[in-house]
Amino acid sequence: MRSSNVILTSMSVQMKQTFSRNMFKFCMLIAPFFTTVILGEMYRHSTADNFVAYVVLGSGLWNLWNSIAFSSAGDINRERFTNTLSIIFSAPADFRLILLGKIFGNTILSMGSFFLSVAFAIALYRPPIYVNNWSLLIGALILTITAFIIMSIFIAYLLTLSRKTAVYMNCLEIPFALICGFVFPIENLPVGVQAISWIFPPTWAVRLLRYSVTDVPYGFWENFVPLIITMLAFALLAAWLYRIIFKQTKVLGTLDMA
Amino acid sequence: MSEYVIEVKDLTRDFVMGNGLFNRKKKTVHAVRGISFNVKKGEIFGLLGQNGAGKTTTIKMLITMLAPTSGTCKVLGYDTFGQEKHIRNRINFIFGGEYGLYRRLSARDNLKYFANLYKITPKVRDERVEQLLELVDLKDRADTRVETFSKGMTQRVQIARGLINNPEVLFMDEPTIGLDPVGSEMLRKTIVKINNQGTTVLLTTHNMYEADELCGRIAIIKEGEFLTLDTPANIKSRLTPRAAKPVTHEEITLEDAYIQLVKGGDMA
Repeated sequence: MRSSNVILTSMSVQMKQTFSRNMFKFCMLIAPFFTTVILGEMYRHSTADNFVAYVVLGSGLWNLWNSIAFSSAGDINRERFTNTLSIIFSAPADFRLILLGKIFGNTILSMGSFFLSVAFAIALYRPPIYVNNWSLLIGALILTITAFIIMSIFIAYLLTLSRKTAVYMNCLEIPFALICGFVFPIENLPVGVQAISWIFPPTWAVRLLRYSVTDVPYGFWENFVPLIITMLAFALLAAWLYRIIFKQTKVLGTLDMA
Repeated sequence: MSEYVIEVKDLTRDFVMGNGLFNRKKKTVHAVRGISFNVKKGEIFGLLGQNGAGKTTTIKMLITMLAPTSGTCKVLGYDTFGQEKHIRNRINFIFGGEYGLYRRLSARDNLKYFANLYKITPKVRDERVEQLLELVDLKDRADTRVETFSKGMTQRVQIARGLINNPEVLFMDEPTIGLDPVGSEMLRKTIVKINNQGTTVLLTTHNMYEADELCGRIAIIKEGEFLTLDTPANIKSRLTPRAAKPVTHEEITLEDAYIQLVKGGDMA
């Protein structure tokens, strides 16, 4: 059986499993409304550009991040508790492909929360929206999702090594959204923290996305190049990390709760 | 190639546990302490012991889930740590209990998914899934979510999952947990059937009747070490009659011998 079948079948199982969970339904269908309203009220008296960048796109990105990263990380924990993690890890199919399929499944579902957030923001506040370049917007959105997927893989690998997944997940959610500038410009952060922001691909992806819909004081290439470099760096880091976790999970015995 | 499908020599496994938030103290638990045994192709080998004796840890090392701390652990001629890819599609395992399945999926969806992870072609997969559902008597409930199943029904799905790739070696860790007498009998018959077809079985159980009936040889493990390794008949024949329960050799059960051994009683 080809690798693509392992990815597709894992994706399908993941989507069925995930969508049957009430918590995910809340994250996907209800949470976008609250995030949009909170950000909408924060930016009510700001400029139209800010409103589009940090309410329309910001709430969408925040919910997309929550759904992808939280589900992918949370799944490791859930599968550890139900002892399926050790089974899929010990199956002949490559664990990397299984995990990729699961993250793809979560991403497809999470796109729903992104579009729902954008729709809520437009319906509730009716901001003046214009798109500079539609193909750039679509390209930037694809790159943003790719950046989120790479981060999710990286985090999921890390969490395979530890049983304290829930703690790390909660520590990651909000700080990551703030550091990567989903809801306000990273230029507002202290310089030392900005240096951390530059490491993560979503920071550059989000800036590129904003570039395609608003008048921002920076250009295409100065975001595109760092985005590709950081994405490649995290992809390589994840590949290296996998080699370690493949051995270490068996040495440390962290695949199940027994 | 060696006549043995499982070769274990001086196998140990330690777990390092940490306690306390600050000033974390580490404690090493010796789960398996230098056990050695071999299992021949086509044999049914039993591993008996109290809870926490090291049975599951041993099985986890054999199925490539855990790395040994030291010693040799080979299945089908390959090291279980480092040569996993030569082993994984030729073995399978069944754990007792209600976990190890996607509970929000149906029995059929679970079996199909695991078949895909074992790289079975769709045509063979679909046929095999139907055969296994028939075998474990779940054809009528095949499209119902596993989370609605009783303990016994869930365990039957686990059994079907463990047989999905027609394994050459099947590891079973307390597979009759939660099964009613009819389910247990079905499992015993299944074990005999697949064993007759050439599958080697390594079984752990607390059911001494089951072990006596099925296993060609039995190892009794206590605190990570083997107390004995022999045929059930030989283990029983070495039991010294107890004053409280005078019995003839014909009446001695494996349970009598097991209790005497793990309690530290003398064997002849």
